[in-house]
Amino acid sequence: MTDVAVQVAEPSADSSMARDSRKGLRWRLLGQPLTVICFAGIAVLIGVALFAPVLAPFDPNFADIAHRLKGPSSTHWLGTDVLGRDSLSRLLYGARTAVVTSFEAVGLAIIVGIPFGLLIGYFGGWWDRLAMRAMDILQSIPSLIFALAVIAVLGRGANQIAIAVAIVFAIILIRITRGLALRERELLYVDAARVSGLASSRILFREILPNIVGPLIVETAIMLGSAIMIVTMLSFLGLGLNADTPDWGSMLDDARQYQAMQPFMALPPGLAIMFAVLLFNFAGDSLRDALMGTQRSQALRRRKTTRSTRPLTHFGGNNGTTRTDAEVLNVKDLCVAFPYGKKGSMEILSGVEFSLRRGEVVGLVGESGSGKSMTGLATLGLVPTPGIIKRGEIRLGDQNLIAMSDAELNKVRGSEIAMIFQDSVAGLSPVHTIGQQLAEPLQVHQGLSKQDAAKRAVELLSLVGIPDAARRIHDYPHQFSGGMAQRAMIAMALSCGPKVLLADEPTTALDVTIQAQVLDLLGDLTLKFDMAVLLITHDMGVVAETCDRVLVMYAGEIVEEGSAIDVLTRPQHPYSRALLAATPRNEARVGHLPTVPGTVPPPWDWPTGCRFSPRCPHAREKCLAAPIPLKNGVRCIRADELEFAHDP
Amino acid sequence: MRRLIALRLAMSVVSLLLVAGFTFSLIRLSPADPVVLALGEGATAAQKQELRRQLGLDRPLAVQFSSWIGGVLVGDFGQSIFTHRPVSQSISDALPVTLSLVSGGIVLAVVIGITLGFIAGLRPGTWVDRLVTSGVSLALAVPGFWLALLLGLWLAVTWRLFPVAGYTPLSENALHWTQGLVLPCLALSVHGAAVIGRHMRGVVIDVMDSPFVEAIRARGTPRSLIVKRYVLKNALVPLLPVIGIQAAVVLATSPVIEKVFVLPGVGTLMVNAVVSSDFMMLQGTILVFATLLIIVNLLIDIGLGILDPRIRPQ
Repeated sequence: MTDVAVQVAEPSADSSMARDSRKGLRWRLLGQPLTVICFAGIAVLIGVALFAPVLAPFDPNFADIAHRLKGPSSTHWLGTDVLGRDSLSRLLYGARTAVVTSFEAVGLAIIVGIPFGLLIGYFGGWWDRLAMRAMDILQSIPSLIFALAVIAVLGRGANQIAIAVAIVFAIILIRITRGLALRERELLYVDAARVSGLASSRILFREILPNIVGPLIVETAIMLGSAIMIVTMLSFLGLGLNADTPDWGSMLDDARQYQAMQPFMALPPGLAIMFAVLLFNFAGDSLRDALMGTQRSQALRRRKTTRSTRPLTHFGGNNGTTRTDAEVLNVKDLCVAFPYGKKGSMEILSGVEFSLRRGEVVGLVGESGSGKSMTGLATLGLVPTPGIIKRGEIRLGDQNLIAMSDAELNKVRGSEIAMIFQDSVAGLSPVHTIGQQLAEPLQVHQGLSKQDAAKRAVELLSLVGIPDAARRIHDYPHQFSGGMAQRAMIAMALSCGPKVLLADEPTTALDVTIQAQVLDLLGDLTLKFDMAVLLITHDMGVVAETCDRVLVMYAGEIVEEGSAIDVLTRPQHPYSRALLAATPRNEARVGHLPTVPGTVPPPWDWPTGCRFSPRCPHAREKCLAAPIPLKNGVRCIRADELEFAHDP
Repeated sequence: MRRLIALRLAMSVVSLLLVAGFTFSLIRLSPADPVVLALGEGATAAQKQELRRQLGLDRPLAVQFSSWIGGVLVGDFGQSIFTHRPVSQSISDALPVTLSLVSGGIVLAVVIGITLGFIAGLRPGTWVDRLVTSGVSLALAVPGFWLALLLGLWLAVTWRLFPVAGYTPLSENALHWTQGLVLPCLALSVHGAAVIGRHMRGVVIDVMDSPFVEAIRARGTPRSLIVKRYVLKNALVPLLPVIGIQAAVVLATSPVIEKVFVLPGVGTLMVNAVVSSDFMMLQGTILVFATLLIIVNLLIDIGLGILDPRIRPQ
């Protein structure tokens, strides 16, 4: 019984949240000047429709034969038609016809379409299938043709037009509502309502409907615009109203007939239709944007990746550090920044430094948001827009990647330094075969012919352990499992024998057994190709099994580096220790799934001093004073005082 | 692939039969009596009965339907109640006009829409993008037939670049055929081009932002090659259904454009049939439009099968 009580509480919590978000919605809408103008415009349109008799200077049917087909004048602002009737008055009365007919059509469509769509979507089964088939049939007839057929049956007239358009729109609304109800029905709050014994009608109209009303309102707004368009088209075709009821469509038909004599006649009704439709379209768009919040604009901002033009400071050649011959990649003082606020910018990577040697696997660990992936992308010059590499040095052999143009970088990417990503299936183009994608770097970097590249692609695919490679090369990514897709990605990355491989969480999305296989493969290939691997991961277990050295990253900084053994057994930084303590294998001893308390704060909340201090149990006042330097492989001024001995 | 086509083809034939059945029953719902309309109010009961018998309207509905369908299958759509001409003859005269107009409209909508969306989607946030986006918003609100009126007035009447109205068959004069179709097709394509352009822009942005493009970039493939090889093909998959819907809109609005340019197409036949309650003509023309739309959808399905390996039956 208590279970039920708890669950029943959920829907109401949901709806209060919905109420809150709706209040936010109002503010979001009012904050947009264009939106306000739009809704004001719609209000004006409705006002004109209501008060047409007061606003119109003439009776719309008063024929002043002496002044027929005249252009604009002081008496007739918009001229007169073929019978000498005042165009402005007819335009204003036409607004009334347009608004009444389209609201009638959309209103009818809502009354029929939404409940019906809810019913078939919620109950599903045979009724749903039957209704969907029937609607497929109806939609095999183009919409306006369908409306014409309905008018042929019902006869001509304003109401008939409204009904014909309503049927067309109802079908669309049924489909949309059904789709939304189908999705909603699977959600927890509906289950809860069902379990608590609410009547189906109550679930449909009190629980589901309020949750899907947003997209439906958007659709309705846009439908009002199209209704105006369709209604005017139908009356333009001569199927609408009697001649005494002015409407925009028949005004345009008149204009068509007497265009040669008075070309101005076509302008006012056309512009009126355009503005009316524009108002409803914009209203729909702004409602949609407001409902979706800022998601869209953020997605836009994240769109493509470019690199900064030039670093702000240059580091000449070799400044002091000894580089062994085996060292292939050396990153120094890498800083990446994103614009923030009006003019400012915020650093999301600060002074990142590391080096990789041949045949070595280096782990880069840290929680989500610590900047691991960004480090990988920045190394390849692929910082997402609008981010830039503020300064730093990335040495690959003798070349400084920071100083290179995008075209120069393209010659290095994939041939000398390669990267693989977490989501292997999404990392492959779904409409190209594995072979095509595997052959591409060979053609681009090594200039292989199509045949040679294809042959080499088969070799590479078997090299990463995919059986029957000659046949699988013609498969598409959806025919590969996640593990196989990751193997294919590794093959693509290694196709040109790179010196450095950046592996960004390559096994996170895979099953545990597959994880081990892919890690083994990576280890084998590291030796075989004698390359350096930067293994980005949040899994300390993976580090323990595969890495020679470890870099621990927090809030855009390397906070500790050292050999894997040292860091895993004697972590010096409090953050490293917290990460280790949160490794699930300690679960048995601790008794619950351990976590690092809190999360990585967003970059604008990073403190000036030690960035881990807000979450550090050992933080003192001196930790906050100034940025902490990396000393003896640790970025902690209390490292010497704090002796951490990790239990073996 | 062959199986996919066969399956879709069979489904199309079934849909067509169902549409025919629906159309037939819809028309029979009308309270208007075609016999009275044809003979006028003053006709005697005997005259009415005679015409009814001639037209076969005294037989049971099921028999009427099967004889109509049987005729349609061999190209006999019945006879207009007013002109007494075979409906199939009127339709075969009008069909080339509608086909030229509609295919031109669809091709223009697709070409203009995809080009604009592609250009804007590759440069989001730039002035080019803003120009295209606002142009699209405007085009979505402009009534195509009104634009047709203005274009006709300006380019045809004032500048005499195109004929004002009418249709020249392709077999008669290819140049005049083309000239006569430019403005109607353009006007017909405006809405579709805008919708396709808007979708294309969004899809291109999504593809350029997708993980696989990031992965391809990380392998050093130049941007130009990414755009050429990956973006268009990946973008077309979600775009094809949109093109299908817009083709339906082009079909649906063709009667309006036919009226503006006085083109003797199937839409004009249909509008006249609606006005005069010419049921046989109405049934025939609706069926023609439904057939065209079903063919378009079939082509879209086949196109999707070719482009997207995920929906091909294994």
